[in-house]
Amino acid sequence: MIDFSSPRHRHKLGYLLVAPALILMALIIVYPIVMSVDISFQDVKIARIGVDRKPWTFENYEWLFTSAKFYQSLWVTIKLLLVVGGAALAIGFATALLVNQKFKGRALARLLVALPWAVPEVVAVVIWAWMLDSSFGVLNWVLLSSGIVSKPIAFASDPVAAFASICFVMIWKGYPFICIMLLAGLQSIPEEQYQAASVDGANVFQRFLHVTIPNMLPVLGVAFIMTALWVFRDFAIIFVLTEGGPIGSTTSLAIMTFEESFKFFRMGQGSAVGVITLIICALLSRALVSRFAKSVN
Amino acid sequence: MKLSKFFGRFSLYATVITLCAVLLFPVYWMILTALSPASELRAYPPNFLPSAPQWSVFTELLANHPFDVWFLNSLKIAVVVMIISLTVSVLAAYALSRFRMRGAQSMGLFILTAKMLPGTLIIIPFFVIFRSAGLIGSLWSVIIAQATMIIPFTTWMLKGYFDTIPNELEQAALVDGCSPIGSIFRIILPISAPGLAATSLYSFVISWSDFLFARTFVVTSDSLWTLNLGISSLKGEFVTDWNIVMAASLMTSIPIIIVFLFLERYMVGGLAAGSEK
Repeated sequence: MIDFSSPRHRHKLGYLLVAPALILMALIIVYPIVMSVDISFQDVKIARIGVDRKPWTFENYEWLFTSAKFYQSLWVTIKLLLVVGGAALAIGFATALLVNQKFKGRALARLLVALPWAVPEVVAVVIWAWMLDSSFGVLNWVLLSSGIVSKPIAFASDPVAAFASICFVMIWKGYPFICIMLLAGLQSIPEEQYQAASVDGANVFQRFLHVTIPNMLPVLGVAFIMTALWVFRDFAIIFVLTEGGPIGSTTSLAIMTFEESFKFFRMGQGSAVGVITLIICALLSRALVSRFAKSVN
Repeated sequence: MKLSKFFGRFSLYATVITLCAVLLFPVYWMILTALSPASELRAYPPNFLPSAPQWSVFTELLANHPFDVWFLNSLKIAVVVMIISLTVSVLAAYALSRFRMRGAQSMGLFILTAKMLPGTLIIIPFFVIFRSAGLIGSLWSVIIAQATMIIPFTTWMLKGYFDTIPNELEQAALVDGCSPIGSIFRIILPISAPGLAATSLYSFVISWSDFLFARTFVVTSDSLWTLNLGISSLKGEFVTDWNIVMAASLMTSIPIIIVFLFLERYMVGGLAAGSEK
């Protein structure tokens, strides 16, 4: 038995404690990543371990880069990213600023604005599916009775409306996390900076522009990238709401990966789509790498 | 001056209340629909205020759908995932926080990779691995998959929390004859209760909300369906009984909302500790 309290052996304890996490990560993150890259270079329908390995081929990637479906899915994902990222960031920032004010009941307000974060995605989807119902949905009633539209919008069958309905759910599910992150950022701005700005005669708006915004830019950047990563990878919202339809108008890269692998059982091609998605996500989060590395050390 | 201050306060409260009302309307609508009689759901204009609540919707839900089975499966998964991810990440986070280790930097890379991994990509090798291990059609496949995705982030959250605890506390304990492992349990964990709470909440919320893993690994055996699979199947039916769907959604949301109400302040603190540094 090694005596871990002696200084000579103390560092060994560190490795021992971190071992379960490392083994788990190696087994179920590193190995699967290697495996999916491997699968993406094989012409396989349903992959198996060990048996009948196919030779490496670029077929899947050739198919991918010449298929209109891939470019459509990529475009859908980018549109989603811009709309959802932009709107969720705006709402999240606005709510964070608001609940950062000092007022009675602030704790309750913070709790309430963050609540949608805890609502499971599938539940959020069915609530919105009901609110967006083309015959009895409450949103159509609001739009009709306020005269914005003259006939109900068919959110399920119209490609543009279906895309919009995905955006609604994603924005609603996505803004609370941004709000929580930004709130933490707002709280870490030193009060002295605001006081100094006030002494210099800055009004509320100028203080916001010259103190809040510069201090918040890094956090806003991180929040946007986190949201982007989520939009790129999210599956449940689109799959349960529209299954990627109508006519592929809501098929994101994540949905396409799933469809190829588990609907058409072409896991080689599915993996190729997934690997490309992973590369895009990796590029997106490059900005985060140094931050994470720093935070861990 | 007094008057303008009053109006300032007033408009602040008005904005906060309006904002909360708009943002939480979907939750209100779920509750209202669940408790409305089916006939009222087609009313035009819709009823925005509750009439007599129809509690029978829950007995109807239990009678016509195996809701209790779904609920139990979800609960089993969430609890086991929470225990596994908390145990593993407490040890790892403590080590990362207290020991200078070679390769600690790669932990940051792991966390980031796990955060970037598209779930729909990782389920392909998971499916292949679980199939050869005979775990497809077992709740363990879902549990293992979820724990994997959760542990990197919980480790990072906890490490941020442990970093705020001064090292002197444990050293004092060591001097008093406490073993290094003992000092984790006697000193660090009691102080870190808020961090542990935030981590458990995070784990619980993520695994309770899972759809992808359940949809891929256990969809073919009805007896293993989770709440989210069940609810999505209710919506899929040709004619949707929205009050039933909303009742199921409400029952699914309640445990998580209760957990959230109790632990939200720790959660915000925990996320902040993780994201700020």
